Amino acid sequence: MKIKNIAMTLAAAGLVFSAQASIAASTLESVKKNGVVSCGVSTGLAGFSQKDEKGQWSGLDVDVCRGVAAAVLGDASKVQYKPLTAKERFTALQSGEIDILSRNTTWTHTRDTSLGLNFAGVIYYDGAGFMVSKKLGVKSATELDGANACIQAGTSTELAISDYFRENKMKYKAITFDTSDQTRAGFESGRCDFLVSDQSQLYALRIGLKDPAGALVLPEVISKEPLGPVVRQNDDEWFNIVKWVVNASIEGEYQGVTSANADDLKDKGKPGQKRLLGTEGDLGEKLGLSSDWAYQVIKQVGNYSESFERNVGQASPLKISRGLNAQWNKGGILYSPAMR
Amino acid sequence: MSAKEFKPLPAQPAPVTTTGPVAWVRDNLFSSAFNIAATIIIAASLVAALPGMIDWLFISANWSGVTQDECVKDGACWVFISAWSQQIFYGSYPTDEIWRVNLSLLLLTAVIASSFLLSDRLRNKISIPAFLLLPFVCLLLLDGSMIGLPPVTTDLWGGFSLNVLLAAASIIIAFPFGFLWALGRRSEMPFARSVSVTCIEFFRGTPILALFFMGSVMLPLFFPAGVTVDKLLRVWIILILFMSAYMAEVFRSGFQAIPNGQYEAADSIGLGYWQKTLLIIFPQVIKVSMPNILATFVMVFKNTVFLLVIAVPEMLQVIMSALSNSNWLGGHAIEGYLFVGFIFWACCFSMSLLATTIEKKLDTSHKN
Repeated sequence: MKIKNIAMTLAAAGLVFSAQASIAASTLESVKKNGVVSCGVSTGLAGFSQKDEKGQWSGLDVDVCRGVAAAVLGDASKVQYKPLTAKERFTALQSGEIDILSRNTTWTHTRDTSLGLNFAGVIYYDGAGFMVSKKLGVKSATELDGANACIQAGTSTELAISDYFRENKMKYKAITFDTSDQTRAGFESGRCDFLVSDQSQLYALRIGLKDPAGALVLPEVISKEPLGPVVRQNDDEWFNIVKWVVNASIEGEYQGVTSANADDLKDKGKPGQKRLLGTEGDLGEKLGLSSDWAYQVIKQVGNYSESFERNVGQASPLKISRGLNAQWNKGGILYSPAMR
Repeated sequence: MSAKEFKPLPAQPAPVTTTGPVAWVRDNLFSSAFNIAATIIIAASLVAALPGMIDWLFISANWSGVTQDECVKDGACWVFISAWSQQIFYGSYPTDEIWRVNLSLLLLTAVIASSFLLSDRLRNKISIPAFLLLPFVCLLLLDGSMIGLPPVTTDLWGGFSLNVLLAAASIIIAFPFGFLWALGRRSEMPFARSVSVTCIEFFRGTPILALFFMGSVMLPLFFPAGVTVDKLLRVWIILILFMSAYMAEVFRSGFQAIPNGQYEAADSIGLGYWQKTLLIIFPQVIKVSMPNILATFVMVFKNTVFLLVIAVPEMLQVIMSALSNSNWLGGHAIEGYLFVGFIFWACCFSMSLLATTIEKKLDTSHKN
């Protein structure tokens, strides 16, 4: 216990030190100087940040970093990926080892306020959900009273499901497993009636089943897990850039600008589209970037919809539906502040 | 009267029960009730498990293809391993530059081989400096920026070659460090002794996982602003310190095995401290410590897998990343882990064969 306290004190001292340090150096300047955006990603999470056989990174989280590189450096490929474990991720950002943390990190009050970090928006609204076998004939989570649940131990999902069942005055029996592989195997062998995990994970787990079509992901989402990129506090210039790159990709979809038609719309588009693409107005200059920053993001990485469908949506093996992550005028809650 | 001649009967063959395969089976497999039971249980479980395993591993396994969809048969999907083989062995190192990794591995092999093939006189002059220079030569070669090759940043290094080179580079540097710490621990100078004892006991008494976590999570917070020390470099330093502590203890046991007469003989011909240590004691220490040195090397080699807990893309980490790629979500964990296990077993087994050879070569029989 004593050693833990000492370690905590040391770490806290280090935090203060690095927080002061980060005021001095501007992230934008150092990124421009190095010619590369250093991006903290996961060691592998299907559809969000994953490496392929060639060593190329792709995913929804990865596209944020590629977008920032396109906006700042004009080339989406100028990203250095640093795979991080969940424990290391905040230290790596605080110590300046990475410029952006884009690693399926949930935006919570505690993290935002106590770690010296800022969340620069939400790129995926996740939440705990249920997967059941189709044979069960269940259409809604409210029909799961008295069922056995497969859960991965030590995740925030455990708390979410316990709250949900208590609120709805239902009972369940938890069967916990250490890893997601074991949880899936438990579900497959019929040790439990349903599996609880974050929705984004449920789809990946479902593909691993011997008969993916035999399992159903229920519509209920029982907890809030908004995932988004994180930057260091006290560097508002960089914070603004990351925030508005995320917004530009969402606004791009809203305005109907895609990587395919961006060139055309640049000159012939509606005023809003032209403003976004930098042919009118001075949105780029206000961020300290060139005027075509958003054009580069959309041209090289695509708008939100393209990125979503390519990485986790219908064009990917995961086939996640848009759900909450649709535009606000199409039944979701994605909404970019005004681009003007 | 003629003496009765003594004629021995022709020798009888040994009884069936003491020779031939039957006797071997009786002696080794069915000699007691416990052995009989053990034999039956083991044989039965082999019969039960082997055919299924062989079928899964080889007969109905999928051998050719490049994507998961080509794994149509029920057996193991070795396509997973072959598709990811470059990542598994070289990490994300650029394809055009892989010759540099191969050259580093080749240099390592050459340096090890040189210590066998060269004559005794040359060995000390060439092999020892070559060993000590090797980590830095490999570092320059793999990084490339300082010798005019296209620079390859350390986040791209990975795979099995990283396990091998990191283990080798750590143990080579740990060798002199460990030797100095061992000398310090035996020294009568209070400062040298207390520093050595503290270092050895700290790094030997701390689990390597804890050291890795400290290096990756806490250490970066203590560097001044704008200074970030490369993660792989931090890991390398930790491995060196950890292995130095173990090597120091290996050497200490070697020092203790050298009879006092050797020290006294060296003193009596008027050799100084370093002459005595390096010319008389050290060669004998190396000889008696050889089995332990190699055991320590096998240990550090296997310890490199722990680097996955801090997301260094060594071999097992590559497999785990591959398993979470959305195009390979079909559950190939068993194939991946079996493959990693097999590679490590093959390497460690050949190292212990090598160790036996070295021991025989060095054996000047102190055994009796």
